[in-house]
Amino acid sequence: MSDSFTLPLRPLLEKRERPDTLPQEIAQINAQYGSFRDVTEESLRAKIAEEKNKDPWAEEDEAEKPTAEVDTTERMDQLYKRRAEITQFAMQAHMEAQFAVDFVSLLLSKHAATARQAELSMSPYLKQVAPMGSLNAEIVNPPPKSEAALQDIKTVSRGWRIQNFNAAANKLLRSATRLETEVKSETKYWDEVLAVKNKGWKVCRLPRDRQALGVQYGFLEATPIFRDRGLAALRRADDGSLLLDKGLIPQKVRTVRVRVKTQGQSTGCSKVSWSLPDADSIEGRILQARDTVYEEELFHEMVREARIMGSQGVTTRQNLIQVPVSEEQEVLLDLVDVDQGEPADTEMLSNEHDTIADAVAHSVRILLAYAHRQNLRRRTQPPPPLTPKRRHVPEYQLLRPVMAYLQHTAHVRSLESFMGDIVGVLKSAGLRCGFTSAPFSSVRLPKVHASVPKVETLVKQFLMPFESTFTGNLLTPESSFCVKVRTNTVSPPSGTFYEITVNLPHHPEVKPPSRIGLQTEAAAALAHFMLLDIVTTISNKGAKSPEGTDAGKGVLSWEAAYAHHGELRALSSSGNNKKMKVSLSREELTVQTYPLRGADVSGRAEKGKSANPRHQSWRSDSSESRPSLMEFVEEVSQDRP
Amino acid sequence: MHELLLFASVPAHQHHELLQQLAGLTAMQPRHRLERRLVFKAYRKPGLVTTRVGASQDVQGADMQRLNKMLNGGMYYTQVVGPVTKADFGPTSSSAMSASHDADVSMSGTDQSSYCYDNQPWRLEFRDIPEAGTRSAVTTRLMASASLPKGDIAVPMNAWGYSFVTEYMVEGDVFVQNDIVIFLHRVLLYPQAESQDSHGPRQQLPAYHELTPLERTGSYVLQAAITVQDGSNQEMMKTASQHLFGLREQLKSAVRLEQADRLSLDTRAK
Repeated sequence: MSDSFTLPLRPLLEKRERPDTLPQEIAQINAQYGSFRDVTEESLRAKIAEEKNKDPWAEEDEAEKPTAEVDTTERMDQLYKRRAEITQFAMQAHMEAQFAVDFVSLLLSKHAATARQAELSMSPYLKQVAPMGSLNAEIVNPPPKSEAALQDIKTVSRGWRIQNFNAAANKLLRSATRLETEVKSETKYWDEVLAVKNKGWKVCRLPRDRQALGVQYGFLEATPIFRDRGLAALRRADDGSLLLDKGLIPQKVRTVRVRVKTQGQSTGCSKVSWSLPDADSIEGRILQARDTVYEEELFHEMVREARIMGSQGVTTRQNLIQVPVSEEQEVLLDLVDVDQGEPADTEMLSNEHDTIADAVAHSVRILLAYAHRQNLRRRTQPPPPLTPKRRHVPEYQLLRPVMAYLQHTAHVRSLESFMGDIVGVLKSAGLRCGFTSAPFSSVRLPKVHASVPKVETLVKQFLMPFESTFTGNLLTPESSFCVKVRTNTVSPPSGTFYEITVNLPHHPEVKPPSRIGLQTEAAAALAHFMLLDIVTTISNKGAKSPEGTDAGKGVLSWEAAYAHHGELRALSSSGNNKKMKVSLSREELTVQTYPLRGADVSGRAEKGKSANPRHQSWRSDSSESRPSLMEFVEEVSQDRP
Repeated sequence: MHELLLFASVPAHQHHELLQQLAGLTAMQPRHRLERRLVFKAYRKPGLVTTRVGASQDVQGADMQRLNKMLNGGMYYTQVVGPVTKADFGPTSSSAMSASHDADVSMSGTDQSSYCYDNQPWRLEFRDIPEAGTRSAVTTRLMASASLPKGDIAVPMNAWGYSFVTEYMVEGDVFVQNDIVIFLHRVLLYPQAESQDSHGPRQQLPAYHELTPLERTGSYVLQAAITVQDGSNQEMMKTASQHLFGLREQLKSAVRLEQADRLSLDTRAK
């Protein structure tokens, strides 16, 4: 059997050999419209126009009816009336049916075989009025009908039958086409569901609506409210295409936006919209839904975390988190719709921090994924025994590591530039001094551990406190310094601390403060140690030459008077006592000398002698050549006024 | 701590399917677990027990009473559990090797098992006989666990008054659903040792395939357990059994979880 076997459903209308009907029609036209002679083009046109005008009229008439203003009370009346009519009709139909039943029952009650049944279906009234079996039916021979009447009946019944056949055929064909489209759309639907499944999405029955299919795109380890949102129904549109039905959740695509503000001005913004390859395909929509639920969870968790970070200056608004990073920089995070997330150009001062913003945006997402993994780990471990206390779900570490990193970088950078400046100043004064910095020396690439995936160990490194070290040698041999910068925002004590250790053999009593929290304090402490070191160097230099020859050669030797204030003095046998004051800041190194009268430090210049205070300063940026500090010291060490 | 339990028997042919179902239910991959289990029996050391407590004017009455109660209380079997991995099992060919020979080979061999008895961690698991007369449809029993020193455990256990009885292996998979630990496992027996001295745990493990299931058909036991910190807290106990009933309902179409026979879990030593 071939597939194309077709069965005609419509009745075949056999064409009868008919006599030519044209003469009949001409006769009919003649009778209806009169002679052909009166038919002109105009009259025909007029007729056509009239027909055309008529049709809309008739339609309008009908269309006008429902639009006619009906008063509400009138409408109620109408409604009641119609309802009464309907009930009346129904009653009537019921009555008639009852009569028919009674009639048939009475008729059947005559026959013994059916009497019992007939009695049951008889109405009580009929039973009272008419005795059983009192109606009989007989077949009577109808009078023979005329040939014409028979022909009529035959034609009519044939017409009826054809009509019915036609109607049945139409119904069948219509349902066939309906079925066909249904099958087509159903096939399309299932194909798309399969395509979704083949892409690796989890397709399952919805827990509440057992008839519907759903696709799971959410994250199993997310907070319950977001986990439950990761399931959407796959509904079928009328044409069979797949609809992602997320229920009451708005369809908007939202994402977390990161902005960087420097001194109150926006200087960076993370990329908000990613163009999906085909956003309108079902896959694209699932991806969008997944991204949105991830972003919303991310923001939710960040707000939760930001609340416990209030002590560190983090503030939250309804839809905004502000994280201060350094004194002039802050990071703003908010949840925006993708299509309106791009900030207007006017509010952006520059794009110089776009990279930072993007990096922050990526980091918080990575950290959330890490938190999910930790959740999985925790969930699959044997649980602790049940206690009345509920297990507290700790806030995820999303903002804290980011904030720690940014703060740490800011601190390290500023210290580095401070050190660079100081070294520049000292170099211009001809002093050799250097330092090495090891930013993020605490971050080590982890050893591969079999039980923990590599990614997790990698991320874990960034959840530890950060530490950077600066080490350097000072001018005097064997003296050195070391600064450790530690930032920890995860566990108290939070914030950045500087730990300075110095090794000054000439000032063994000098101990740096144990915990320095402020950048300026750390810088000041370092500058102070440098100053001490310079003072030691100067006094050492004088001491190098043998004491006895000093006076003879007319060279004074300097000794530290108040080392912590940078003051030295040189005593001369010839009365040319001098005092030297050294000051060091990140901009310049200044050395001043004053003559002193006698050994009295507080004494000032002599009256008769020309007091020539000498002054020299070195800056790192000046290009003019100056004598180095040692040359200057040598020069002022001459035993003359 | 108290432990609430439900058990079900799982025929071998259903095992794989049930693993899949449990993985789906708990949304996690099964954690395979292999455990050595040593059974110890408490005994009274002769001469240690002093039931007489001197005269009535004993000053340390309360302390002594407690000590006496501890010393003369019921004796129990306890289990010492040590997790092992499949790599710890002996090679397939070394079934006939003696223990000393094994040690030699393992020092020089390349594909030998790395099992080191001296580094085997242990955990002591005490389980009381399930509570009697509870109307609830779960098995409830008192339990306690403690970690033990690594290595040869028979010596310290002996010193504490326990003697080694026997040992067996438990193989199975663990799932966790919220507070419920689901353990689908079966008991494996060591091959009949010809030269093994019966008093002491094995120093070496035989090849894995030589272990024979205790249940000849190879069927598994599904155990759903939930522990409660404070067994006297009726509220908590009720919540815990509710959780178990919830699981029973969820698994209804797969297995029938039910209470175990109390006396079959009797751990008292007579």
